[in-house]
Amino acid sequence: MSDLRNPLQRARGLGSAKDGVQHWWRQRVTAAALLVLGIWFVLLVLSLLHGGYAAAHAALAHPLNAALMIAFLIALFWHMQLGVQVVIEDYVHTRWVELTLQILVRFFAVLAALLAIIAVLRIALGG
Amino acid sequence: MAEFSLPQNSKVRKGEHHPAPAGAKKPRTFRIYRWSPDDNRNPRLDTFELDVSNCPMVLDALLKIKNEVDATLTLRRSCREGICGSCAMNINGVNTLACTTGLDECKGDISIYPLPHMPVVKDLVPDLTHFYAQHAAVRPWLRTESAAPDRERLQSPADRKKLDGLYECILCACCSTSCPSYWWNGDRYLGPAILLQAYRWIVDSRDEDTGTRLDELEDPFKLYRCHTIMNCTRTCPKGLNPALAIAEIKKLILERRG
Amino acid sequence: MDSYKIQQHKFDVVVVGAGGSGLRATFGLAEKGLSTACISKVFPTRSHTVAAQGGIASALGNMGEDDWRFHFYDTIKGSDWLADQDAVEYMCREAIPAVIELEHYGVPFSRTEDGKIYQRPFGGMTTHYGKGTAQRTCAAADRTGHAMLHTLYQQALKHQAQFFVEYFALDLVFDSEGACRGVLAWDLNEGALHLFRGHAVVLATGGYGRTYFSCTSAHTCTGDGGGMVLRAGLPLQDMEFVQFHPTGVYGAGCLITEGVRGEGGYLTNGKGERFMERYAPSAKDLASRDVVSRAMTIEIREGRGIGEHKDHMHLNLMHLGSEVIRERLPGIAETARIFAGVDVSKDPIPVLPTAHYNMGGIPTNFHGEVVQRKGDDNDAVVPGLFAIGEAACVSVHGANRLGSNSLLDLVVFGRAAANRCAELIRPHTPHPDLPASVLDTALARFDGLRHAKGSTPTAKLRLDMQRTMQRDAAVFRTGQTLREGCANIDKVYAGFGDVQVSDRSLVWNSDLVETLELANLLGQAVATMHSAEQRTESRGAHAREDFPDRDDANWQKHTLSWVNDAGETRFDYRPVHMYTMSKDVDVVPPKKRVY
Repeated sequence: MSDLRNPLQRARGLGSAKDGVQHWWRQRVTAAALLVLGIWFVLLVLSLLHGGYAAAHAALAHPLNAALMIAFLIALFWHMQLGVQVVIEDYVHTRWVELTLQILVRFFAVLAALLAIIAVLRIALGG
Repeated sequence: MAEFSLPQNSKVRKGEHHPAPAGAKKPRTFRIYRWSPDDNRNPRLDTFELDVSNCPMVLDALLKIKNEVDATLTLRRSCREGICGSCAMNINGVNTLACTTGLDECKGDISIYPLPHMPVVKDLVPDLTHFYAQHAAVRPWLRTESAAPDRERLQSPADRKKLDGLYECILCACCSTSCPSYWWNGDRYLGPAILLQAYRWIVDSRDEDTGTRLDELEDPFKLYRCHTIMNCTRTCPKGLNPALAIAEIKKLILERRG
Repeated sequence: MDSYKIQQHKFDVVVVGAGGSGLRATFGLAEKGLSTACISKVFPTRSHTVAAQGGIASALGNMGEDDWRFHFYDTIKGSDWLADQDAVEYMCREAIPAVIELEHYGVPFSRTEDGKIYQRPFGGMTTHYGKGTAQRTCAAADRTGHAMLHTLYQQALKHQAQFFVEYFALDLVFDSEGACRGVLAWDLNEGALHLFRGHAVVLATGGYGRTYFSCTSAHTCTGDGGGMVLRAGLPLQDMEFVQFHPTGVYGAGCLITEGVRGEGGYLTNGKGERFMERYAPSAKDLASRDVVSRAMTIEIREGRGIGEHKDHMHLNLMHLGSEVIRERLPGIAETARIFAGVDVSKDPIPVLPTAHYNMGGIPTNFHGEVVQRKGDDNDAVVPGLFAIGEAACVSVHGANRLGSNSLLDLVVFGRAAANRCAELIRPHTPHPDLPASVLDTALARFDGLRHAKGSTPTAKLRLDMQRTMQRDAAVFRTGQTLREGCANIDKVYAGFGDVQVSDRSLVWNSDLVETLELANLLGQAVATMHSAEQRTESRGAHAREDFPDRDDANWQKHTLSWVNDAGETRFDYRPVHMYTMSKDVDVVPPKKRVY
């Protein structure tokens, strides 16, 4: 705080981004989705606990389960990205590190989501 | 990175020990953070054993130390009845007002530090310049465009009631300096006290600039650094609920998007 | 002596103090295009205005019939005919636009059902010249001062007023013609000295309540403006009149608003009697403060007190119901819980008359200009010097202030001073040079105290002063106690020569701040005690048991008191203004004061 700027200048900073509600809202919507889909996911896993590979494969090939699984994966990775984004914003204050991490997290989330979805699709579409 | 440990020159060393006077009826031990800008030394923790027979409040004890043991002890104080907000400090780990905290509420030895994560000017006096500037930055005054009537602007008792729990804020900064989010991002996050002040004008039925106020707050850092940790509400010495005010602001911003 | 580098600032006007009146003046001046500095030893919202509770008087008539002339009459009667009636007329007339203006600034006043400002009854406030009870006190629950101070600070922000926060004013600077040219101040945060040049200096430094041991005043109420004025060789006025508020919390001294009685609360003694019925048959608990405080003191003295030592009274509000308490008196419920351990919906609050307000101060006219007596001129203006708020003695409060007239005084005269400055000063007028030696005395004094190597700590001297004032300048006074009081306070004053300061630093040296404050307090304590000894009559808050009656023939006049560096006092007197500003209202001639 030893620079010579006026305190008001510092407090105002770059002004308002007029944005943020979307991020906040998406985080809550994905959280709500995860809550519902998470219960479904746990139930599915429990039902397959002693079924072996073939049973799991068959269950996931069912169109309803496949759709729900894809929805679950989208919500999961999206929510993760939104959450990690906030953690990085909170704690990483070196601009270039922060920016790099944010981009990496996004790439990772999208890539991981795509891989997982393709895996589900392959099963669902009988690949 | 955010700073999770104290920088070298802020590490606290052991300080002086002032034993209780002989025949003390009600001795209590105080550990008080001391730092002076004049001697280039690290802060220290002084121990004062004090007879607190005539000291109902923590502030009384601090002033007794200043009056009778060590006149160099430095703190802000004024009204001693919890309305001016001067003597905000960290007492046994909780940000509160020294003047309204009874010694009987404090268990064991009493540790007293300045408000956390603020630059220290001296001893228990933190530098609140940035906090005040953030207050000014939300332009906290009645903003109207329509011509003022000859008499008072009318306000229904129900609308006036919406200001209860908001206008009572004394700007003591206890809440903002208890908020981890404010610790890590206080340069950009407005913090609970200032957001409560902003909300006080957003819900004032007489104010005509609600939209602009919401515009100015809608920002990932100014507003959305609030992660509902709720330390603000837990610590407010006036029993206000800044966390609720922030939640209401978020709700209004969402609401206007349809 | 250390050499001090002094930073110089040039403004059109310098305001000292950022309480209600200081802030009102500051943004009033900014509004007029005058470059203004407001220097304050505390952040503005920490000023003691914040602790005012009950409300601000204004004959809006929102809750029944009212007229500013009734308010005028009540104020003069409350003052026991020591107030200047032209100034009272100005204040009571201006009260209406002043409160409307506050509402337009955004003060969160409580509301009536139809959305107007809520008004409550207060002590001494009547309709039809004493016949009915007026509801005149505009309130924001019981936190009116807080609501007002924050709003005024917000307005100052809006007007981009320039603040110098945590700057302690050391001394006024005068030129050779006796005009005030600025003020020397010490920046606590940087430890540097600053000279603020101004074509006018407005002192808004508040009262000197901390001369007493038990007072409702904040630690910072040390009358720094009055101290500076005394050192400048100017007199203070009516210093013997110190108001004791009937309801300070027993022990802690914190204020419990008169609004409690305005809302229907009442006092009882050890026998459970509502004793005020005997002392003020018509106004009862809502008699003016001096009357209630005296009644309580008599009850205690005659053995009808409460508690182990039979030394306090009870304030009852259990019957008001939790709804009224929550709506109208939430702050005192909190104060009573914290400082008296009392749940006000179940138990009464232990209370005691407590030093509260200084009617006396720096003599001014109703523009806020400081005046003195010069030859035949009783109202000679001191050029460049203004005083407003509790620091000033306009005099609108005379010998006893009515509750809720103080917040009014702040805004009305804060605004008046700003207007007057705008009439007198053209923006950005260049400043004449001052001789280099102009700061010598002030610097020598500052440096001397900073290095004071005596043997009596500041805190010890302060306690001696407070005990003396508490004992000898109390609710009731006699020639005997006042003579003893004068001797005692003179001894304390002389003891200041042996003061010991342990902190030699410049950044936030609060030991030195308290010593400088003590110096300011001591001068005013001496003025108070000696002025009281001089006045051989009973009037308002000054109750002499050896002279129980008001003596208009000899004493309907303002006391002027000087205290020199050696602590010697000198007195003179100014006549009370027994005329009004306009023909809208008639002078109220003195008569017996009964409630």
